[in-house]
Amino acid sequence: MKTKHRAHSSTPDRLAKILPLDREVLGSYAFLLPLLFLISALILLPVSGTFLDSLRRDLPYLPGKFVGLENYLAIFRDRGFWVSVRFTTLFVLVSVPLEVSLGLMIALVLNETFPGRTALRAMVLIPWAIPAAVSGRIFELIYNYSYGLANYFTYLLGVGPVNWLGTEPGAFVAVVMADVWKTTPFAAIILLAGLAAIDEDLHRQAQVDRANLMQRFLNITLPLVKPVLVVALLFRTVDALRVFDVIFVLTGGGPGGSTNAVSLFAYTYYAAGDFGYGATVSVLLFVVALGFSLAYIKMARFGEEL
Amino acid sequence: MMREETLKKILLAGAALLTMIFCLGPFIYMVLTSLSSNPDFLLPTKPFNLTLANFMAVIFSKSAHFLAYLRNSLIISAVAAVATVFLASLAAYSLTLLSLPGKTVLLLCILALSMFPPISLISYLFKLMTALGWVNTYPGLVLPYVAWSMPLSLWILVSYFAQVPKDLHRSARIDGASRFQTLIKIILPVAAPGVFSTTLLVFIFAFNEFLFALMLTVDYRSRTIPVGIALFEGIHGQIPWGEIMAAATLTTIPMVILTLIFQRRIVQGLTRGAVKQ
Repeated sequence: MKTKHRAHSSTPDRLAKILPLDREVLGSYAFLLPLLFLISALILLPVSGTFLDSLRRDLPYLPGKFVGLENYLAIFRDRGFWVSVRFTTLFVLVSVPLEVSLGLMIALVLNETFPGRTALRAMVLIPWAIPAAVSGRIFELIYNYSYGLANYFTYLLGVGPVNWLGTEPGAFVAVVMADVWKTTPFAAIILLAGLAAIDEDLHRQAQVDRANLMQRFLNITLPLVKPVLVVALLFRTVDALRVFDVIFVLTGGGPGGSTNAVSLFAYTYYAAGDFGYGATVSVLLFVVALGFSLAYIKMARFGEEL
Repeated sequence: MMREETLKKILLAGAALLTMIFCLGPFIYMVLTSLSSNPDFLLPTKPFNLTLANFMAVIFSKSAHFLAYLRNSLIISAVAAVATVFLASLAAYSLTLLSLPGKTVLLLCILALSMFPPISLISYLFKLMTALGWVNTYPGLVLPYVAWSMPLSLWILVSYFAQVPKDLHRSARIDGASRFQTLIKIILPVAAPGVFSTTLLVFIFAFNEFLFALMLTVDYRSRTIPVGIALFEGIHGQIPWGEIMAAATLTTIPMVILTLIFQRRIVQGLTRGAVKQ
């Protein structure tokens, strides 16, 4: 009886020797529990569920069953899927560089000292603060064929009205412009942080050495801001890959499916109750986005100072 | 030298002006349309007739449910923001000021979560909320928002908490304060600006979110304003642009005011959430 009691009381000590966990550390982990519970239940579980769904036939009118990779094979033969992949790729390739280069220009302006700089900085945030669904509606009106702002400009330029949302090239430009307007501010803010970190003495020294504006930009600013530029590009890529709201509102994926982003393509299957097929598209998007996300996390050097 | 300075000034002024037009143009167009009785006022033959009728229609029309959508949005976003920041503070505190093995890996994994495409979550969120009977309710939207904005909030808070002197924490603990008391009474007040920035960012994020709200709400009882405006089509076949833009203006004005007042805080929070310096 006595020995048993002794063995019992020494268990925590022995446990502490095996695992480097004392009460202090265990208590600290407790602070993480609500967060871990919520993200497990509402992010990890749904994503795992989506992976499982992609291997199943999950339709409202048929019994669900495991189908292996059948959904994936069907997707790869689906012309609509490839159209949406092509659109999304083009969308990323056009809108992201546009956003980041425009963002860099705005950041260069905001990095200078001039009267009204604070006001301009605040104005730049306005497109960012407006819900994408709302800015989608504003752009829908801008591209209105009969009386929108875009065709007002074509009229001023002496060109006939353009059918922005009814033609494939028009809709592509429309969607890209709406996204550029909404997201350039974010790129500008990130790049501004990078510019602000550049030592002003470098510019002053170069000025003494008679380097002109362009030379200073190319030889000092650009190389020093390059890491932040890469981060902004990757971050915007991850975001542009999953684009949904602007397109849902502006074109609904049309005309003729030409602006059907991958997220939207998956959504239409979900909305129709075909969860297996929708999940398969989501998984493919997830995998591609994850690749860019990991690159972003690595390039942004998160976690280095911890 | 002199010539270059002048050139730079002209370039700067031009670029600043263009930036202003770029950012404000669509916004001003929205406000103008909301104040016009006819959305086609840009046509050379059509006049601009100033009116508040669009705003009246949006606010007083029972069938448009605009005020209900706006109320839903404000409540859901505010609750989500406060809950997220509270729970993320607990986690950020344990990750920065307490010594935990494996915390960097954990933080990086959590960060990766925030980059998942939302489309890969919605079908299960929908199934889960259906099972719980929470589709078209406030908790049905608040909970996904809290979970979804947790990773970024955690990151921003960690960067602020890391600046709190460790001695402050240590002496509070030696004086006998529990960890929770130390967090509430010492750490949060010291990091208050960061906590406030984070709350603001989560609020704006939740207010602007679209896909979850589209999938998890059905009608005015929980539908948020972005979805309400996106699906607003009018009843007479023609899109009621004046009313849509009035609703859009009423929705964006609070966000714009928030942004203008707290510009500095927002920029700081955004920067910390996206790049490490």
